[in-house]
Amino acid sequence: MNLSFFDQFSSPSLFGIPLILISLTFPALLLPSPDNRWVTNRLSTLQLWLINLITKQLMTPLNKKGHKWALILTSLMIFLLLVNLLGLLPYTFTPTTQLSMNLALAFPLWLATLLTGLRNQPSTTLSHLLPEGTPTLLIPALIMIETTSLLIRPLALGVRLTANLTAGHLLIQLISTATVALYSTMPAISLLTLLILLLLTILEVAVAMIQAYVFVLLLSLYLQENI
Amino acid sequence: MLSRLVLRAAPAALRALPPPVAVGVLHTTRPLHTTQQSLAPVPPLPEKGGEVRHGLIPEEFFQFLYPKTGVTGPYMLGTGLLLYLLSKEIYVINHETVASACILAVIIYGIKKFGADVAAFADKLNEEKVSAAQAMKNEAMQALQTAIEEEKKEQWRVEGHTYLFDAKRNNIAMLLETNYRERLMMVYNEVKKRLDYQVALQTLKRQKEQDHMIQWVEKNVIQSITPQQQKESIAKCILDLKALSKSAHAAV
Repeated sequence: MNLSFFDQFSSPSLFGIPLILISLTFPALLLPSPDNRWVTNRLSTLQLWLINLITKQLMTPLNKKGHKWALILTSLMIFLLLVNLLGLLPYTFTPTTQLSMNLALAFPLWLATLLTGLRNQPSTTLSHLLPEGTPTLLIPALIMIETTSLLIRPLALGVRLTANLTAGHLLIQLISTATVALYSTMPAISLLTLLILLLLTILEVAVAMIQAYVFVLLLSLYLQENI
Repeated sequence: MLSRLVLRAAPAALRALPPPVAVGVLHTTRPLHTTQQSLAPVPPLPEKGGEVRHGLIPEEFFQFLYPKTGVTGPYMLGTGLLLYLLSKEIYVINHETVASACILAVIIYGIKKFGADVAAFADKLNEEKVSAAQAMKNEAMQALQTAIEEEKKEQWRVEGHTYLFDAKRNNIAMLLETNYRERLMMVYNEVKKRLDYQVALQTLKRQKEQDHMIQWVEKNVIQSITPQQQKESIAKCILDLKALSKSAHAAV
């Protein structure tokens, strides 16, 4: 079938039945379930080691109250990692390329951190709007700027993830189309393009993992400010 | 492969429920009642995973086709299928093909290069866990062994206590004996002192009596010498002296 460039970004459906739920929950099936064993197989051991690493990394800067967020942040991290990496396989749909999905992840979590801060320590949260040591004349302008920066955070989180993944996938598609198109006329150039595609794929693997990490790290940073 | 995943994951997931619920669903995880009913002991994990050829296709598939088509059977099947899909354009070569080739190359390179290291790392994690527990067990056993040795030593020490007590008893007896003898000596000395005193007293008394008597006798004698007797004795003495001087002259 002929694919246009944007078919990969359309929400999957089969005979009108939306498959988005399957595409969201399928990655969880690939993870080994915790067995009631003490010494597990390699995959379970590595999974446990990874989860330990992630949770330690995220929870070390947080105080005791912030440890309530351990479960959701670690699950979010694992989910984003898996979904991003699986999206690099051919003919797969990456849910995180949809802005709706990323905003749906970012906005409630950011709002939760903000409301936690405003409820428990309102003056500290509001004081974050003014960095230390600003000259008196600049205070009004700086408050406006910091408020804008605060309110744009969920948008930034969502759009950052969407843009990175969409751009990466689109680039892969474009360069591979170029490779296929050039193959019949200039095979040597096609080979060069293929090399570029190889490098880009490696970059995309890295970007997939880094974007997942950055999303969760920023959320934990916003939490640190407010809890 | 995925159905295998789901079928394998379901009993473990059901067993992982909280105990009140797990007991209820346990029998639903053994539809034909072929396995044991209890949750423990867990059967051991197999040493090696299932054999796969080319990282994807299980070895059982090759064995399955071997009787009918020999060694090259599965490969012919694969090639034929691939060519059928390509030539009938059931699978169209498009840009995704190239992209999939790239990602597959990256994945295979990653697995080939880092697979052994990651497996060794996982094994090391497990090994550390087991060896930590073993070390604890060994330490406990060692501590108990040391305790047994100490106890035996204490029992040997207790045996030697009888000798100790004997020696102490001897000591005390000697001390008592010495003390008794000292006191005896003291008594003897005191008694002797008193008796010596009495003896000295009597000696003194006799001495005094003798002296007194001698003095009295001498006094009386001197008193009794009359002047006439005195003159007579002096004259006799002079005559004796003359006689003696004569004999002395003669001797010389």
